[in-house]
Amino acid sequence: MTPEHSGKAEESPRQRLLSAGTPMCAGCGGLQALHQIYDQVGEKTVFVNAAGCMTLLSIYPYTPFRGSWLYTAMACAPAGAQGVRDALDVLLSKGHIDAGQDQLPVVLTGDGSAYGMGLSATSAAIDRGLDFLYICYDNEGYGNTGHQYSAATPAGARTATSRVDGYTGVKKDLFAIWSAHRPAYVATVIGTEPADLARKVKKALSLRGPRLLLVLAPCPTGWGFEPSRMVEIGKLAVESGIWPLKEYSDGQVRHTRVPAKRAPLEAYLGLQGRFRHMFVPRRNEEQLAALQRQVDDYWEHID
Amino acid sequence: MRKLLTGNSAAAWGARLSDVDYLPVFPITPQTEIIETLAEWVDKGELNARLTTLESEHSMLTAAGAAAATGVRVFTATSSQGLLYAMEMLYNVAGWRVPLVLVNVSRGLSAPITLEPDHNDILAARDSGFLQLHCATCQEVLDSVVLAYRLAEDKRVRLPVLVNLDGFYLSFTREPVEIPSQEQVRAFLPPFDPGSNRFRGGEPVSQAVAVLGGGPYSYFRYQAHLAALEAVQAFDELGEKFGECFGRSFPAIEAYRCEDAEILFVMIGSFATKAREAVDRLRDDGQKIGLLRPRLLRPFPAEELARLLSGKAGVAVVDQNLSNGLGGILHAELSAALYHLPKRPLLVSFIGGLGGRDITAGEFYAMVGQVRQAVAKGQPPPPRLLFTEQELKGMRGLQNIASGKGASHDA
Amino acid sequence: MYRIRFHGRGGQGIKTASRILGTALFIEGFEVQDAPRYGAERRGAPIFAYVRADTHPIHERGVIHRPDLVVVADETLLAISPAQVLEGVTDSCVVLIYSAKPEAWWRQQLPDIAQIVVLVPLESLSVAIPVGALCAGAAAALLGKVSAEALAHAVEEELSAHDAAMVESNRKAILAAYMEVTPWRGLVCSSLPLGVAQTPPPVWVNVPHDAVDIGAPVIHAGATSGLVKTGLWRTRRPVIDRERCRRCLQCCAWCPEGGILAGADGWPVIDYEHCKGCLVCAAQCPFQAIGVIPETQAEGGADAQTADRK
Repeated sequence: MTPEHSGKAEESPRQRLLSAGTPMCAGCGGLQALHQIYDQVGEKTVFVNAAGCMTLLSIYPYTPFRGSWLYTAMACAPAGAQGVRDALDVLLSKGHIDAGQDQLPVVLTGDGSAYGMGLSATSAAIDRGLDFLYICYDNEGYGNTGHQYSAATPAGARTATSRVDGYTGVKKDLFAIWSAHRPAYVATVIGTEPADLARKVKKALSLRGPRLLLVLAPCPTGWGFEPSRMVEIGKLAVESGIWPLKEYSDGQVRHTRVPAKRAPLEAYLGLQGRFRHMFVPRRNEEQLAALQRQVDDYWEHID
Repeated sequence: MRKLLTGNSAAAWGARLSDVDYLPVFPITPQTEIIETLAEWVDKGELNARLTTLESEHSMLTAAGAAAATGVRVFTATSSQGLLYAMEMLYNVAGWRVPLVLVNVSRGLSAPITLEPDHNDILAARDSGFLQLHCATCQEVLDSVVLAYRLAEDKRVRLPVLVNLDGFYLSFTREPVEIPSQEQVRAFLPPFDPGSNRFRGGEPVSQAVAVLGGGPYSYFRYQAHLAALEAVQAFDELGEKFGECFGRSFPAIEAYRCEDAEILFVMIGSFATKAREAVDRLRDDGQKIGLLRPRLLRPFPAEELARLLSGKAGVAVVDQNLSNGLGGILHAELSAALYHLPKRPLLVSFIGGLGGRDITAGEFYAMVGQVRQAVAKGQPPPPRLLFTEQELKGMRGLQNIASGKGASHDA
Repeated sequence: MYRIRFHGRGGQGIKTASRILGTALFIEGFEVQDAPRYGAERRGAPIFAYVRADTHPIHERGVIHRPDLVVVADETLLAISPAQVLEGVTDSCVVLIYSAKPEAWWRQQLPDIAQIVVLVPLESLSVAIPVGALCAGAAAALLGKVSAEALAHAVEEELSAHDAAMVESNRKAILAAYMEVTPWRGLVCSSLPLGVAQTPPPVWVNVPHDAVDIGAPVIHAGATSGLVKTGLWRTRRPVIDRERCRRCLQCCAWCPEGGILAGADGWPVIDYEHCKGCLVCAAQCPFQAIGVIPETQAEGGADAQTADRK
């Protein structure tokens, strides 16, 4: 298939590297970010996938990838990346392939795997210094099964398994867990901040070793909003300060965008069905204040 | 070169001689010596392979499958709980249709946790899509690993293979083993050719892709089944070639003194050599007894078993496993294989050797007696657990202590 | 037995529709079986659900191949996958279409379909009601075996997780849809399964053992998903107004599908074969240069495709 396959010949528009035609939901924030990342990481990659929404990117005989793909299982995508990396190293060292045939293993998982079932395999891959890129599209719940709460679900969010009062836990800090392993690179990103995302992907690609791109993925289906508002909500996640854009490398954490004046968290929460119970039938002032306080506390010492 | 080797060392030698590229590993008793041996060879530069210790058998099998899918020759090993922990990936990797060799050192499954062998671990993998070879001696362990690569990589087959050896009775037991030269093995086993299912930069390949709908799923599952069936023929051919190369024949089923036998033992694994010994003693006693020992359990050599057992009077099927609520697994599978025979033998089921419990010569002789009685009556007795009065007495003593009634010195 | 198949899109309440009808029939004393059919596809993607009802216990299971009533909640589906929507439709089967177009128009479009009933969108409704639910009300009337009371109870039961106001507005709307097709009450007839002699035998084959290159779930090509026309999910279409567009190409970055491309001449070009109609582009365009029109009114849209098919 040529890159121009779906464009009008006379206009010959530049096709995205990741093909359209996937079964992801309309308005998927994870897919929007993946397009941008894939444009940069390119096709000399083996995407090693764990069970999640994006398992369905490749359904026989269709795949959007111009490079390679391997589905593993929910718990073990980093181990799959290890096998691919080790095998390519063996092939290189024995002279069976040349450097031009090398590929970058890229783990692709949702938060269900990244924060939970796959954490042991992830931790061990970082221990071993595996040279790989890890992309987590974090839509803050088990999205592919109908959005039950996961370890990435934020406090108070309604999910299919916290339908009444919302999630009673707090969102696990995967950025801190990764950073504590002292890997090559960790970054939080979102597709609705393309310049920040592009710079971080570029930086990640310039390094070797374990590298995480933790992507907040606004999810119309799971979060309860009209697909057309995906970018608006993504921007508010950053402007309200609930999704800090930051990176870790060389032992240091740096915030890459400190909102001069943060938007009120309510502006972000109020657009999403999963937080609707905090506003109607009456405002839950206590909960709204507590959530705002958590955000304020986070930013208090950040310059 | 003939040397005294443990079963674990023999497995490691099999991998070394097969020029393996990649060794994803994880320790578990009684397998650990295999990976320690390989690690030492890699560290000393005697084996040009990469060894990576994963954090679990689940990840180990994933890395193994992913590396094989990338296009290198992979060896790995586990046991018991580890095999079960990896079980999800056994099914996956077989579905990927990648060739690799996984050695399982059999050990009884928890609970209660134990270290000694039986076959419930390996038989839990019987529907996984991995082919299965079962070893009775340390020599056979080495030979089976080499043969397994040839079988797994055969274009007709392209499936992963499990090679099973019993914990303790083989894993830690030294026996004389003929170690073939590297050149001999290379003459038998050509370098791994992954074909077009592999990962190379510039060649897009998506592997282990999801399907929607029962049609494609049925097709792919059945392809793996057809490939496994094809392995019966492939194994026969390769076994013959193995004999030419190494002077040791390798049929799918070891048939010992079977031709004129009236009653036969059927069993797998290292305890079958005990049965073989019993056959000789019973023959000394004038009894026409033989032994059938399938080396190949997946694919199940049903036709050959039927051919060998047609017209025989009776069979003692000795299962070192227990499918709770059913009985012996081998007994069930053999019954199915013989059902259509007009002259099928009478099968008597014995469950023994669970958790490494010994099976004595006397018990083999007694089993023959029971089969004779059943044949005379034309009706098999209920399955018999090999468990003696003395063992039950010992158990009662332990139970006395466990129930707080104090130590019993009778045990 | 009555066999009813609902066709719609993810997000139109098709599963709820099948449950409302199933519960209503159950309240009326029928043995009932209802189920949605899930795939990997998401909101906007074609889906279906089915209901069986009989006076005896039901032993059939799974997809309905010979329906007595086909409910088309989204008329654009008739243009894009007529083979699936109209599968197994015989002269005795009724096809209910939710559409603003008159019955005569549909008769012209679908000359092979013997019985067509059109449920027109009810302008009297002040709140947006899922299309599927309206169709369930109309379907209940067409069966002629469900009273308005049973239907109202079914709505209350199936929507019990929602607040009272929403249940009430749904109940009203569904009953209005029920009344709307009352002239055709009882049009749908129950049918017997095909007899043994009338049922064509399967043509089984011995599956060949194929080489592993093709016999394993492996794709030896890149970007094949371009062949999947996800544009068919779309019910509303973004349209770029070149008078207003400043060619900033922000829409290309925002599009989650990678479905807006930068043309060689600098204009953004929407890939309608794949655009799922999320309308992020229209919401985000800084110059309000992207308008939204219903897919049915689009040039080369569903109507044209239906016409093409003829």
